[in-house]
Amino acid sequence: MKRVLQRSWIVFIVAIAFMGGLGFLIFKTVTNAADWASKPYNGHISNLGKITDRNGNMLAKTVDGERVYNSDASVRKALLHVVGDETLNISTALQSRYRSELSGYNFIWGMNMPKSFKGSGNVQLTVDADTCKAAYDVLKNYDSGACVVYNYETGEVICSVSTKSYDPQAPPKITEENEDLYRGVYIDNVLSSSYTPGSIFKIVTSVAAIENIPDIWERTWYCGGKEEIGGSDVTCVSSHGTVNLEQAFGHSCNIVFAELAVELGEEKMNEAAEKLGINASFEVSGIKTKKGNYNVKKANTNQLAWSGVGQYEDKVNPMQMAIICGAIARGGTPINPYIVSGDSGNVISDLGLSKAGVTGERMLSKDTANALDKLMRSAVVNDYGDYMFGGLTVCAKTGTGETVTGEGENLNDGWMVGYSKDEDCPLAFAAVVHRSSQYGYAAAGQVAKAAMIQAAKSLRAE
Amino acid sequence: MQYIMDVAVVALRILMPVYTIIIVYQCFAAMRRRRRPERPLVLLQDLDSGVKTPVLFWENSIGRSRGSDIAIDDPAVSRNHCVLLRRKEGWFINDSNSKAGTYVNDKKVNGRTRVKIDDVISIGNKDFAFKRGEEFHEELQSSWFFSKVSNKPAMKPYKLLILISLFHIFMCVEAVFCDGATDYAPAYICMGLLAVEWLFFIISTTALKRVGFELESLCLFLTGIGVMLLARQYNGIKLATTQLVAAVAGMVLFCIIIKFIEDPDRVDKWRLIIMIASTVLLAINLIFGRVTNGSANWIHLGPISVQPSEFVKIAYIFVGASALDKLNTRKNLIEFIIFSLICLGALAVMGDFGTALIFFGTFLLIAFMRSGDFKTIIFALVGAGSAGLLVLTRKPYVLDRFKVWGHVFENADDKGYQMSRTLTYIASGGLFGVGIGNGYLKYIVASESDLVFGLMSEEMGLIVAVTIAVAVATLFIYARSVTTRSRSTFYSISACCAAGLLVIQMSLNVFGATDILPLTGVTFPFISSGGSSIISCWGLLAFVKAADERTYSLKVKS
Repeated sequence: MKRVLQRSWIVFIVAIAFMGGLGFLIFKTVTNAADWASKPYNGHISNLGKITDRNGNMLAKTVDGERVYNSDASVRKALLHVVGDETLNISTALQSRYRSELSGYNFIWGMNMPKSFKGSGNVQLTVDADTCKAAYDVLKNYDSGACVVYNYETGEVICSVSTKSYDPQAPPKITEENEDLYRGVYIDNVLSSSYTPGSIFKIVTSVAAIENIPDIWERTWYCGGKEEIGGSDVTCVSSHGTVNLEQAFGHSCNIVFAELAVELGEEKMNEAAEKLGINASFEVSGIKTKKGNYNVKKANTNQLAWSGVGQYEDKVNPMQMAIICGAIARGGTPINPYIVSGDSGNVISDLGLSKAGVTGERMLSKDTANALDKLMRSAVVNDYGDYMFGGLTVCAKTGTGETVTGEGENLNDGWMVGYSKDEDCPLAFAAVVHRSSQYGYAAAGQVAKAAMIQAAKSLRAE
Repeated sequence: MQYIMDVAVVALRILMPVYTIIIVYQCFAAMRRRRRPERPLVLLQDLDSGVKTPVLFWENSIGRSRGSDIAIDDPAVSRNHCVLLRRKEGWFINDSNSKAGTYVNDKKVNGRTRVKIDDVISIGNKDFAFKRGEEFHEELQSSWFFSKVSNKPAMKPYKLLILISLFHIFMCVEAVFCDGATDYAPAYICMGLLAVEWLFFIISTTALKRVGFELESLCLFLTGIGVMLLARQYNGIKLATTQLVAAVAGMVLFCIIIKFIEDPDRVDKWRLIIMIASTVLLAINLIFGRVTNGSANWIHLGPISVQPSEFVKIAYIFVGASALDKLNTRKNLIEFIIFSLICLGALAVMGDFGTALIFFGTFLLIAFMRSGDFKTIIFALVGAGSAGLLVLTRKPYVLDRFKVWGHVFENADDKGYQMSRTLTYIASGGLFGVGIGNGYLKYIVASESDLVFGLMSEEMGLIVAVTIAVAVATLFIYARSVTTRSRSTFYSISACCAAGLLVIQMSLNVFGATDILPLTGVTFPFISSGGSSIISCWGLLAFVKAADERTYSLKVKS
């Protein structure tokens, strides 16, 4: 009898094993509940809250259990990647990411709380529907791209548009036949893509040069259209003749910046790229931006030269470039952008999931920022044309990142990044057009122009 | 008005988990009480030295080995020399194939031999006088489960049952006024349930003159939760009615088994018959069984569908446990191993992977309790592992379940359908649940049986579901605790292993549905819908009840 009783301790082992499993289940539930509850098939989610833009325009709401979106198809498509749809395929969109919060879910009460106790589940965004629509109407003419405009003094994102897009009211079924038409459609290019920067990377090279070469402003260079650096040619669009830094920046002379990159060397170039956060990620209302890339560890002299003009393996993210421009505009320190309004009564900010208007780390000294401001302003006045932005005092830089060569024609990533200095419209922007045969100024410039003009109009009307 | 209604609904939802914890606590608190003080039953007095050795159990092994209940340090005594046991008729001694033999009043023992007070028992070179227990005066230690129990009387059984009935009435209120539409059908189910509960209580305390009712209370509580939960499911009234009728059948079986195993020696005589009957049952199943969801574990008798493997579980416990003097005989062991192979083999052929796992887990428990040998266990595990691999290659649907294990959300609309829904709706229920009948898991196949843990979590909240699971696990620890005083190793082994079987089954159910283990499709004891399942649960419970010496105390006085 005693022996049998002694052996019965096995009971405790089995019981402890069960309790352990149960503990693990509870742990798993506590940590994953919001994710599990937000699955598209969850029958409890029939009443997501209302999503509005900065002026209270309805972007999405639930009517009789059906999700309806803005009445304007362009607005719907423009904000698809911000708002999301019912398929939940766009994982960074609000309706996917904060689905359980929008439905009034919380871990303790679950779903289906009686109406009297349920939170509103409503969300207000900082974006302006009209600006997004204006940007989308230009962007849609190109293969794909992105446009972001944000208020660099407050951090509010005014415009965030990504293409390709589709109508969230009628999500397409993507099959083998039409997958080319919708390639990358579930990715928000503003936050989650990176592109070859081309000449906009000259901002980074300029920062390195201004901070490390004392006589940079006295120097001049001769551009003959092409020059051999490190065994191969670096080419320019045309022969720019004798230029100083300001002219080289405005004309976007490759040879000058390629030489500067080689002169500065790997270490100084890296230092500038790191300070500007090229290899870092920024957080926008809880969503991390895709990191850019500047890595010349394995580059030879020619590749180092090309890296200074935004080719080689360089990559940048649109939101990241807008933040850098915002930092330059503010004298070196950016305000981090956010897209979910910080006002109370907003379920996502009430739960502390999104922070508004946080000051970021200093990216460049005040002097360097002022110097860049001069370069970028001069580029607009002397090269792009000040009339372009309809009276706004804009500082900017265009770029054309070569991505695909051959195929009969060159397909590029065209860029325009910059900011307006107007006190009533402190707006930083970045626009990129992917797989375009045009140069940055012609393609992305038109997107940026449309977005900035409408953004200024909307802000001034408030 | 709406606001007041909402406050009431929320208050009720918060009340239920608290109430569940109170009831479960009360059941176990009551189980720990009313236990006779630790006193030796009889004692053996060494005639040379006069040292008195208390005899504490109804069955005692005597031998040279230190693990014996009564260890005798004498080279002439075999390691396991003999067994001293108490039965209704009195005390007996039985030799365990010792070298020197055992003598009572100088007569050699051959088979069970009666021992009377003041008889002289000779074991090896030692002679002992068989004396009454009252002649021993030292204090003895109680087991931890029963030690430090306050002298305050436990909650009276009828009060506990009132608490439980009230809980079921609350569930009924939730079910009647659930979100969809008011439906009074659950109220009739609830009335039936309450009638069954109180009738069982009255019969048990008056007609059967049982002292305790805590174990039954706990299981009535669980059964009632299952029945009331079913009332608002898809086709719920029919399921709930079946469940209630089956529960009554289970309670009858519970009483029959307790009566049947009153005499552990009777079980020994019936052992072979039980084995043969079970084998025949499994054979019928194999021949006439229809394949449902990949396994052929059902037989259909007109309108009634039966799952024979559920009843074989009870038989398996019968065959696995034995009285101490029979436990280590070769015949007993071989019979048990053969029967294990028959059961596992039949289940493998049927493709009932889940039940086979339950049987195997129980086999390990029984084997360990009988032999205490880790080597046997390891061999068994290796054997089972290779058999398992064989099953995986032969049965593609089992392999599928392993493939999807840990990846249910990637396969949410395919092989991971049931598990992903279960997890989503567990999360949707929060801590307090969405209320009975307001869930969505009920629209998923097998939600009332294989996924019932999820159903419980969604509609009654995570706290209730976890408390219920813990209650079943604690039943196991309780079974272990009562066995320290059971009248035979038959009871200790059968109680621990029956409770163990329930816990293993519950583990497979809970962890299978929640993607911690692969889904095996077994029922949650007492809660899941399923007639055969609930009957078998009550049948298994009888072993735990029988192990408690108080169960027979009014009738057995010696």
